[in-house]
Parts: sequence; C-alpha cells; structure tokens
Amino acid sequence: MDKKMSIMVVDDEEIVRKSLFHWFKKYGHVVETASSGFEALEKLEKYPYQLLFVDIKMPGMDGIELLGKVKAEYPDTLVIIITAYGSIESAVKAMRIGAADYLLKPFKPEQLSLVMERISVQKKLVSQYNYLKGRLEKITRFDNIIGHSSEMEKVFSLIPEVAQSDSSILLVGETGTGKELVAKAIHAESRRSHLPFIAINCGAIPESLLESELFGHQKGVFTGATRARKGFLEVVSGGTLFLDEVGEISQKMQVDLLRVLEEKKITSIGSREPVDVDFRLISATRQDLKKAVAEGNFREDFFYRINVIIIEIPPLRKRKEDILLLVEHFLIKYSQETNKKVDHVTSDAMGLLKQYDWPGNVRELENAIERAVVLSKSRTLRTEDFSFIQPSGIQFSESLSLREMEKAYILKILEENTWNVTQSAKILGINRVTLHKMIKRFDLKRKP
Amino acid sequence: MTSNKKPVCVVPLGDVSEIVLKVIAGHITSCFKLTTQILLPLEQPEYALDERRLQYNAATIIETFESMHFSDHDKVIAVLNQDLFIPIFTHVFGEARQGGKCGLVSLFRLAKNPDGSTPPKSIIHERAVKVALHELGHLLDLLHCEHKKCLMHFSGGIDEVDEMSLDLCEYCSIYLQDKLR
Repeated sequence: MDKKMSIMVVDDEEIVRKSLFHWFKKYGHVVETASSGFEALEKLEKYPYQLLFVDIKMPGMDGIELLGKVKAEYPDTLVIIITAYGSIESAVKAMRIGAADYLLKPFKPEQLSLVMERISVQKKLVSQYNYLKGRLEKITRFDNIIGHSSEMEKVFSLIPEVAQSDSSILLVGETGTGKELVAKAIHAESRRSHLPFIAINCGAIPESLLESELFGHQKGVFTGATRARKGFLEVVSGGTLFLDEVGEISQKMQVDLLRVLEEKKITSIGSREPVDVDFRLISATRQDLKKAVAEGNFREDFFYRINVIIIEIPPLRKRKEDILLLVEHFLIKYSQETNKKVDHVTSDAMGLLKQYDWPGNVRELENAIERAVVLSKSRTLRTEDFSFIQPSGIQFSESLSLREMEKAYILKILEENTWNVTQSAKILGINRVTLHKMIKRFDLKRKP
Repeated sequence: MTSNKKPVCVVPLGDVSEIVLKVIAGHITSCFKLTTQILLPLEQPEYALDERRLQYNAATIIETFESMHFSDHDKVIAVLNQDLFIPIFTHVFGEARQGGKCGLVSLFRLAKNPDGSTPPKSIIHERAVKVALHELGHLLDLLHCEHKKCLMHFSGGIDEVDEMSLDLCEYCSIYLQDKLR
C-alpha cells in the first residue's frame, strides 16, 4: 500500500508550519500549510487532504472549532491536534469530536513517527474496509436501488414479497427509473437466485432475431445459422428471464410466448422436438399497456398472463427527496471509477438538481453526475458544473411575449397542482373566479 | 572512482574534533562516491541559540547557510557539538531539507548511550557518520525509507541509529545512482 499521504499543517506560527512542512517532505508526502482555520477550510474545499495537523490556539477560529467543522464536512479527513498548552480537558474534547490523536509540542521525533505509523495502518484498514464493503454491496440484494421516499419504500417492501412466488411480474415505469435493477433484486431474493438472470431488451432486437434469440434454432434453418444454438428461454434454465420493453414485441411473438408460459415447453426454430423449460418471467414496460390493449395493439390474453403482479416504479420527479441520496451514491461511484476525489455538491447546485424534473430519471441523473465529476477541477460540484441541465418549467426565449409567459406560468402551476384550481389560485395570488376566467381566456386545457 | 561533481564541503561550527570531520568526509567519499573538502571552522552559531530551551535552532542555522554563497560546493555538511532542535521536536540528531544545500550534524546526543553510559569514541564516530550520510541523503533528495537497516530509515532514538547500517538499501541505492548520474 502507498504510504504517501496528503497532509495540511494548520498553525498560525510560521516556524511550526515550516518545520512540519520540511519534515513531511522527507517522507515524500504531499504537504500544504495554512495559517488559519479559514484558510484551511478554503484549501480543503479545493483538495482532499487526508490528514490535518491542527494547532489548538489560533486567532479567529481555534483548532477545536476547525476540527468540528472538518469532521462535519469531511468525516474521512483525519485530524491530529497539536498544542503547546495541553490539558486533559482539551485532549478529551478533541478526541470526543473526532481527533485521530493529540500531541503536545514539542514532541520527540519518534512520537510523531509512531503516530504516522498508526495513521498509516488506520488508513490501510479503512481502505480494506471500503474495498470489502464495496464487494459486499455488489452481491447484496438491493444494490443500486436507492431511495427513502415513501414511493420507493413501497417498492422495497414489495420486492421480497413477490420474490417468493413464481408469478409473472410486470414492472411499469418511465425510462431510466431502474426497472432492470428491481428485476435483478427480485431475482436475487428468489429461490432462483443461484441460477441465471437473463435480460433481453425486446425493443432493441428485430423481431426475426428476437425469435431466434428466445427460442434458439437448428443448424442450417436460415442463412447464417451455421450451427445449432439454444435460445435464452432454454439457457435461462431455472432462472429469471427479464423482458424489457415488452410492449415492443409483435403480436405473433406475444402468441408464441403465451404458449410457452402456459405449456412450459419451447420448440426451437427448425426443430419438431419440444423442450421443457422452467423460468420466472419478469417483464417491464414504459408504455400504458392497458391503453395498448384497448387500442388493439397488445394482446389482452398475453397482457393478463405477464401482469399477474404489477409494480410501478415512480419517476424521479415524484420522489425528489431521493435526489440527495442518489447524488451521494453516484458521487462515490464516479469518484472511485475516475480516481478523482469529488465528494461535495454546493447547496445551490443541489437546489438545481432538485428543481430539475429529470425526464430521463435516475439514468439521466447518473449521467449528469458522471459528466460533472469527470469535468470537475475541484472536489466540489457547483451550479456551473451542471450548466448542461435545462431547468424545468418555463423556457424563456426572446420571442416570448408577456401574455405567452403569463399563460405558460398559469398552466405550469395548474399542472403542478393536478388542476386543483383553489390550490393553484392560492399559489398565483389570485382568487378562484379570476383563475377560472384566465383558464377560459387562455383556452387552457388539461393534458389527457 | 569518485564523481566529478563539486566536492561536498564538511565544515565544523565551533570547536569540533578533527578526527570526526575526517571520518565523516572519508565515508562520504567511500559510500556516496563524492569528493569532499574539509573547511576551516566557522563560529559557533550563537544566533541560533534558544535561551528558553538552551538548544540551537536547526531551522535557523539551515536558513542562514542556505542564504550563504558557496561557489565551490553544492552541498554542505556542518558539524557541531551543540544540542539541536526544530521547533516542533524536543531534539534532533541532525537536520536537512529535502533537496537543500546544507545539512547539520549534532554530536551532542551521540556521545551518550540510552542508559546514560559513555560509548567508546569509535561508536560516537560511527553514529556521526550515519547521521551525516543520512542528512546528505536528504540533500540529494532521498526520502525516508521503510527498510529498518537502510541508512535513510528514520531514527528517533540513539538505539535506532546504532541499529541502522552504513549502507543504503537496494532501492535507495538505485535512486542515489540516478541522482548522481
């Protein structure tokens, strides 16, 4: 393990800063100094120093106050308190707030050496812990499904319940809401968890190919079939088959799949011998399949066969309280992947992220964080790092007249309040009658 | 064969035994393959005396030397009998800054064993050589080394100085060769 650390020495006495600076340089550490707590916090915002040596007695902000702020903002940063005026009280206080150690100036060189050795061991253990935690999280069930909103809590409580049965499940949600993650979680919770989980995006595969992918084919049945190939319905043998974008599959394929679900047998293309299959089906769609059935675009019998249990995954705009958690999760993920320490988002930037409606849902948020982390030059993401996000709501343009803007704003408020006129009028600061008149005047209509 | 770089200067600060200076200079040549030159003594650095601690501030002496012009020498090893400290530490046996010009060796604490007894002269000389070579290593940009026997391993106590060998470990050796090339 690399024992080199990034260290900042915070002391108002230049001679102490210099001494420690030159001392740590001899070990090859990256060393910085700060003459006050304020300067230290400024520097800490720009660079993730791993270890701080902080003097207690400093004008403005003393070492204990700085320690508290550092531990609150950057809990992973280790702080060693150094002081020439030691007391048991201050030592206890410092350790209680979270100091890694407490040294009385002047100390013996070997004392500092021992402390550094201990910190190095601690760093190694933390690193091992994070590695193992990461490994564990990867094999833990609800990996990557993040949220504490009541909408997500409902989904979380359903997963273990539905996992125990073999009934077909339909996951409904907009694109990017994490339908496949939920499907994987159900599989992981089920008795089939040790068997394969195969995901097929039906929308991405042409119909002719989809049939061959699912059912398999015999050698020579069509051009290019140079050898026999088992279909996913057979390969999945005992596991879970996840059909994403199930609304995209043709009516013919719906009939074929319906038969498979009923008979638990398949016949590969070019073969006459049916083969027994056993799998659990989880389908997902972003479409309104009921409407598709009503319009004759989706088979009713197939719809009811795949829709024994339905789980709705809420769009991100309906669970904005989860954005903070998701942002934290993606920051850790992309900091590790890009090897860049970016672990903060300013409150303004967080406000922007919460204000945006995320039509691409969690996937769009993840992409936004990844892009911001990759391009960021500091450890803190700011509003300007998300300049590519168009805030939701009215889009101002030079051609928008005052009347058009008024119309758009009233419509926005009405939409946000599900056309509750009383509530909308209250927000707009007008009475209900006036709002009714305006709806009529602007010819505003509720979206179907 | 010795390097054709400018000689390393060994300079006593105040009254320092000539033998110690010669032993240090000899080892710099044999271990680091650098030519050396022993200069006439300079005055004891009274300007660096901390009257409260009754010790000499190594940082102050080094800063004074760094500002001095040595036309014939790139690196200077100054040897003195006084007890040295740097402000955060109780004491140091020697001091040098990474890649700096001047290193200091204090003989003060080398003349006593951890149990308070006085060691033979040969042991004191060997300790002085180790501290001098270690500090010269820093001047040549070598870092503290994890190998306990390596000359660049940090020694906090006199027993650790005794444990340390006069040689660099394989890695530090290669690094030094690259530096001197």
